[in-house]
Amino acid sequence: MLFQLKQKILKEISQAKDLNSLEEIYKKYLGRQGELTKVLRSLKELSEKERKEKGKLANQIKEEIAEKIKARGTKFSGKTNPALADKKEWIDVTAPGILPVQGHFHPISLVQRQIEEIFQSMGFSVLDGPEIETEYYNFDALNIPKNHPARDLWDTFWLKDIDLLLRTHTSPMQARYMEKHQPPLRIIVPGRCFRHEATDVSHDVQFYQIEGLMVGQDVSMVHFKGVIEGFLKRFFGPEVRMRLRPGHFPFTEPSFEVDIKRKGPVSTKASAGKQDWLEIMGAGMVHPNVFKAVGYLPGKWQGFAFGVGLDRLAMLKYQIDDIRLFYNGDLRFLKQF
Amino acid sequence: MKISYDWLQSFFQKKLPVPEKLADLLTRHSFETELVKKVGPASKAGKQDYLLDVEVLPNRAHDCLSHLGIAREIAALLKYPFEIVDYAKKIKVDQKELIQNFVKVENKDKNLCSRYTARALINIKVGPSPQWLQERLKICGLRPISNIVDIANYVMLETGQPFHIYDADKLESKGKTKTIIVRRAKKGEKITTLDNEKYDLDENILVIADEKNPVCVAGIKGGQGPGIDGQTKRIILEAANFSPQIIRQGSQQLNLKTDASWRFEHQLDPNLTEEAVEMAAYLVQEIAGGEILNGIVDVYPVKIKPPKVKLDIKKVESLLGIDISAKEIKEFLERLGFGVETFRSKNRTTEARLEVTVPTRRIDVTIPEDLIEEIGRLYGFEKILSQMPTATLIPPARNEDLIYQNKVRDILTNLGFSEVYNYSFVSSKGVEVLNPVSQEQKYLRPNLAINLIKNIEENKKYFNEVRLFEIGKVFEKNKNKVIEKKRLGAVLFPADFYRLKGVIDTLLNKLRITDVWYNEVSRENIRAEVKIGNDLLGWLGDNIFELDFEKIVALATEERIYLAPSKYPAIVRDIALLVERGTKVVEVLNLINAVGGHLVRDVDLFDMYEGEEIPQGKKNLAFHIIYQSDDHTLTDKEVNKLQEKIMKVLEEEGGWEVRR
Repeated sequence: MLFQLKQKILKEISQAKDLNSLEEIYKKYLGRQGELTKVLRSLKELSEKERKEKGKLANQIKEEIAEKIKARGTKFSGKTNPALADKKEWIDVTAPGILPVQGHFHPISLVQRQIEEIFQSMGFSVLDGPEIETEYYNFDALNIPKNHPARDLWDTFWLKDIDLLLRTHTSPMQARYMEKHQPPLRIIVPGRCFRHEATDVSHDVQFYQIEGLMVGQDVSMVHFKGVIEGFLKRFFGPEVRMRLRPGHFPFTEPSFEVDIKRKGPVSTKASAGKQDWLEIMGAGMVHPNVFKAVGYLPGKWQGFAFGVGLDRLAMLKYQIDDIRLFYNGDLRFLKQF
Repeated sequence: MKISYDWLQSFFQKKLPVPEKLADLLTRHSFETELVKKVGPASKAGKQDYLLDVEVLPNRAHDCLSHLGIAREIAALLKYPFEIVDYAKKIKVDQKELIQNFVKVENKDKNLCSRYTARALINIKVGPSPQWLQERLKICGLRPISNIVDIANYVMLETGQPFHIYDADKLESKGKTKTIIVRRAKKGEKITTLDNEKYDLDENILVIADEKNPVCVAGIKGGQGPGIDGQTKRIILEAANFSPQIIRQGSQQLNLKTDASWRFEHQLDPNLTEEAVEMAAYLVQEIAGGEILNGIVDVYPVKIKPPKVKLDIKKVESLLGIDISAKEIKEFLERLGFGVETFRSKNRTTEARLEVTVPTRRIDVTIPEDLIEEIGRLYGFEKILSQMPTATLIPPARNEDLIYQNKVRDILTNLGFSEVYNYSFVSSKGVEVLNPVSQEQKYLRPNLAINLIKNIEENKKYFNEVRLFEIGKVFEKNKNKVIEKKRLGAVLFPADFYRLKGVIDTLLNKLRITDVWYNEVSRENIRAEVKIGNDLLGWLGDNIFELDFEKIVALATEERIYLAPSKYPAIVRDIALLVERGTKVVEVLNLINAVGGHLVRDVDLFDMYEGEEIPQGKKNLAFHIIYQSDDHTLTDKEVNKLQEKIMKVLEEEGGWEVRR
């Protein structure tokens, strides 16, 4: 009986003249109320043994027929008609999909995560440090003496009725970490810092910095250049160029500033009009007075330290022209990341 | 600092590179320099010039806040021959009268004033300065006033030594000889400065005084008293050296910053005063005429001599990572004006050591590392290779906090929440900041909620739905400490308690934190405390929750144990109850679980309804109960019996109406 049905259907298929008639055939036999479908459904009532045999056969025939319809359909249209191929109702694939609700990482988190991954791959451990600091760690231990104009470089928030301040950089963690650990060491410290200054498109009362520190017996400036070039190439792409020029930080000697030059549009409104080299990092070889402050044997160790502004990197990477956008919680900004 | 290109050129016979090239050279080896603009010529007699903006580094303010200092740098970088003019030899002393009979200087504190140098001129003629001088001052941003005042400024811009000139006839004195006293001001003393501002003085301020009154705030600004005017005939030229601390303190107290105070604050070389005074005397004579009195007043109690620093070549090579010979080092340092002596070790097996004599103007150079910086920048940072360090392969330490921070961000963004970074400051409550930037940011935030709620208000204007979270530190004062804690906060708009609770449950579940329960509390904005055992993890409201992030990290785990699904089928039965509105779901759940025992795999609340068709004050609760056994297929009979038992207990012990 099944074979007869099969022959009949195959004949009809071969005689079909267009897609519509093929669709009719499909409905007639394989649709919900189709003849073959009914046969398949009726198998339930048979004994187990019979069911197995007939069921297998019926399914084979069903597949064969579906295949034939599909092949024939392709001949007509030159391509597979999805309705026939998938045996489902037609859907408009060009209509918009239903979007799942999605959240977004903060751009600084994105940049921070990427930087952490790059440095971890170079053997640097990632640490966290306190945002409230003592004068000692924020200044004294870093060779920034009291009543010295050098301190004016860091406009500081102080707390009321208590001898503490909001850290002005992540550098205090250099001293905190070295006090407790002997070299060789490689760390980075990302974190929020504060500066008491007027806000504008490139300055805000808070910002993010990543501190880096590598100390060993022979860690030199050559290694600094190697590590930082490696970092910059992975962060900005292989075409980025780097330039070192003299700088001054009380806690490094020699000190240098790192500038970069990128291909393509890089200038933000904040940097517009200035030369095409962009300043991104302060760095240097750790000052012997810092080693002394943390209790290292004089002359035994050497290494480099650097500080890089995360806000600035994120601004460069995503072409954001106002630092304050990071901190105003505006979803119109946040949802773009 | 504003630098004139033409002025720089005047130090050299050889032609300087074009301004762009010169700026680039200085940027790479000395200070970031920008070519600002082309200037002039202002008159037919004037020259074309270029203005350079040189950002002198703070540690070089001693010697480079001057055209002379920048010219020295250029000479070293380009190997240009460079000699400074010896003005002492150029001036013509044609008066027999000794300066000592004219003016005498009393220095009351040699720690505050390490040197005071003066010359005097008579019969000078005050008038406008010549064009070339005016133009140079203008390009550097100063306004020409009169030849004498302009010379004082000109000398400062050329040498870096602040300079002051007094009209000698306006200094009060009993006798013929004028007395200049360097002393601390007395409380109650006042001064009116040249720009007509009045200041109250006290012991923290160093002044220059005549026999009666302060006539100048030392190192900061001159007083009106002995100011130069059109009638001035006899002048005293002062070049002194003051302690950076007293100038800084005075400048802060008076809130008065000047070109002079800026230089003194950064400390100057006392040996600079003499050449500055000679230069000024020469210029006055050339420009304003007059006769120079014989001799010089020079109060210089402790003469500063050039210090010596030992330098190990190995150290140079090791810190910079380059190969360099003693000869090269010597050449670099000598170009910068350092004296270098080489000591060969006797057995010739070890490297030579150098003894470097540091010119007194280089106050920044005190240790070998300072010299290494000089060598490095002359050698050229761009020539230093870049190479990955060879270090022992130690895997970086695992930072749990960071790992979970990222994990929580992943989970919450997947749940549709976007991350915000708010300010650490709030307008009320919390640890107070001594010097806030505004009333809005006067305190450190005691929680994340305050700013998160504001985020909702702002975003409501643009979005129908707002879901935000933040991970950040909050602050709390505890005696003499400030405790900072990391928190996780999230807000939801429109408010929906159960959805937010679901977010917490999903989050904690993904972090494998179990045993969370919610303790009903009723405080402003708060519905429940989120607890783990007895531990408070945070709190939850209708539109916000805030959790202790450090506790989350401590409790979270990446451990998982796989449980095989039961081989036997599960049977689902529903129960619907009519209960009082105030009945807690957890009470019902507890009872079902207690009665059902291990065969009850799970109980799901799938409906909670009050309103139409439900009696006033009541609500309908409907549960799926999933029955399953690990060791056999449950029969209908077994399940029916258990279901019946559960319903009975719910009715009898719970006192609830089971809807059959």
